[in-house]
Amino acid sequence: MSKIIASCKDIIKTFNSGEAEVKALQGITLDVYGNELLMLVGPSGCGKTTFVSVLSGLLSFDSGVCKLMGENISAMNDDELTTFRGKNIGFVFQAFNLLPSLSAIENVALPLTVASRKRAEALALASEMLEAVGLSGKEDVKPSGLSGGEQQKVAIARALVHNPKFIICDEPTSSLDHKSGQIVMELLTKIIQEKGASMIVVTHDNRIYKYANRIVHMEDGKITKVAL
Amino acid sequence: MFRVAIEMLLHDKTKYLGLLIGVAFTAFLVSFAMSYFAGFMTRGFALVSENPSAKVWVMDSAVSSAEATINMSNSSLDIVRGVQGVEYASPLYLGDMTARYANGHFQSFQAIGVDNATLSGAPKPANLLRIPNSVIIDSGGTDGKLQTPIEKKDMWAYNGSHLNAVTRKLRYGDTILINSKRVVVAGVSHTIPRFPPRPLLYTSTSNFKRLIPGEKRYITFIMVRPATNIAPEVLAKRISKQTGLKAITSSAFKKETVMWYLINSEDVGDMVNMVVLAMLVGFGVTGVMLYMFTYENIKQYAVLKAMGASIKQLTDMIYTQVFIMAVVGSGIGVGISAIFGESISSASFPFRIMWFAPFIGFLGVFIVSLMAAFISIRPIKKMEPGIVFKL
Repeated sequence: MSKIIASCKDIIKTFNSGEAEVKALQGITLDVYGNELLMLVGPSGCGKTTFVSVLSGLLSFDSGVCKLMGENISAMNDDELTTFRGKNIGFVFQAFNLLPSLSAIENVALPLTVASRKRAEALALASEMLEAVGLSGKEDVKPSGLSGGEQQKVAIARALVHNPKFIICDEPTSSLDHKSGQIVMELLTKIIQEKGASMIVVTHDNRIYKYANRIVHMEDGKITKVAL
Repeated sequence: MFRVAIEMLLHDKTKYLGLLIGVAFTAFLVSFAMSYFAGFMTRGFALVSENPSAKVWVMDSAVSSAEATINMSNSSLDIVRGVQGVEYASPLYLGDMTARYANGHFQSFQAIGVDNATLSGAPKPANLLRIPNSVIIDSGGTDGKLQTPIEKKDMWAYNGSHLNAVTRKLRYGDTILINSKRVVVAGVSHTIPRFPPRPLLYTSTSNFKRLIPGEKRYITFIMVRPATNIAPEVLAKRISKQTGLKAITSSAFKKETVMWYLINSEDVGDMVNMVVLAMLVGFGVTGVMLYMFTYENIKQYAVLKAMGASIKQLTDMIYTQVFIMAVVGSGIGVGISAIFGESISSASFPFRIMWFAPFIGFLGVFIVSLMAAFISIRPIKKMEPGIVFKL
């Protein structure tokens, strides 16, 4: 393992729902290393998604320290956090979350568009990424014209197009059949090796555990086991 | 990001069309109602409009519209004619007359007496008024009120009124009774319809006085044409100063008349209420639709925010969408209003597109759209981008 990319210490997050109080994260401490593929597993409601939301700066937390690439994200304001996220983190969502109005290549180019890169340059890089995930020739197809596996490949290309150091995947294979899921995981593994990025994969799918460097088990907002 | 905003807007054709129809309908409603209102108001100062050569109008100092009037002393005409810069001045006599038709029915008219010598103010062919006891009648925006029996036996029958007799329109040569005096219809004119609509009766000063006897003061307005070397505004001030009468330019008189209607007319008040109601309904619908459109796309904005889009970028996207909707929608709405309004404009349906109708249509839609955008931005500002994992 190389240097630490993400480091969380004693993260506590509580949700208030009316009078009820849900302790979603109860003192999570975890480091993620460079070039690592870490899987976060556990039953539904154990706090996996909450943790990756906190880790990626998408969700504020009550206490603890969270550093990404050495930067303390809890000390950043919303604008700084947004800029930081846009530059350093890539996301792959369970439901793909592609913009239905945009073509595959435009969806892939979105992180570059958001970063105000020139359109021609963004599309050229997006085209390369689409080729890398095996979707050459599908550039102009809208998400509705793609299969689930193809949509997830587009989402992966979108997560990687701006060369982030850290990639967060939330159930990337749960909407796919077994074969497509395997293809997607092989693709993710290959790409993080090539790009030298780190990745956290939240999953329930035990068929993809074999791709992990480490598997972190969570339960009731706590880490219960770390398996190599 | 503008391109992304536009693609998002145009993606769902049904939603986009619905939104476009909503905005266009609002702009249509507003500009149509305003043009309809302007049409009525134009008819309110029809008397001024149909005398374009009268650049200055003189009246009693208490008069502030062409609708509600009080007469001046009969000497005022000579006094006005004595003011330097007056090329000519001719009187207009206004009054109400009730005419009896040949079948026994009666009808109120606004009588307009014009100068015996020049017949200035009478509709063409004014010369017909030189026939003794003659009048020119005009529907004045009414329908079916200038009727006389078809059959001779139903006219002035010795056995009383023939109220149910089949009638036709009054025409040259027909006779009517006013104050028990028989007058001859010398012509039927088609001048600008009036607001409120009422039949008009043009006649010469001498005939006017014969039909409405006993009045001490007859002159309602004096129409003045300035000499070529003097501006109407200057002459109006000079007449006011020298005569103590009210003298204003024709354009100022039109404006005053409109203002008078706005303040005093209950009909106009009702119309304004209708226009305001139409605007509020349209604006409400547009605002809600625009808000819903943005709110339904909140998932996509959350994704963009997760990818690093700033709040400013997201708000710019919403403003872009709203701006495009407002421009296209109000353009269509105002265009349809103009085409539709002009095509159905008639004597009974006043419609006049003035600069403020499309302007208010556009402006109203823009203000509402901006408000809707402003409200729509709130949930986007407040959203935790973490919701992308829950969507």
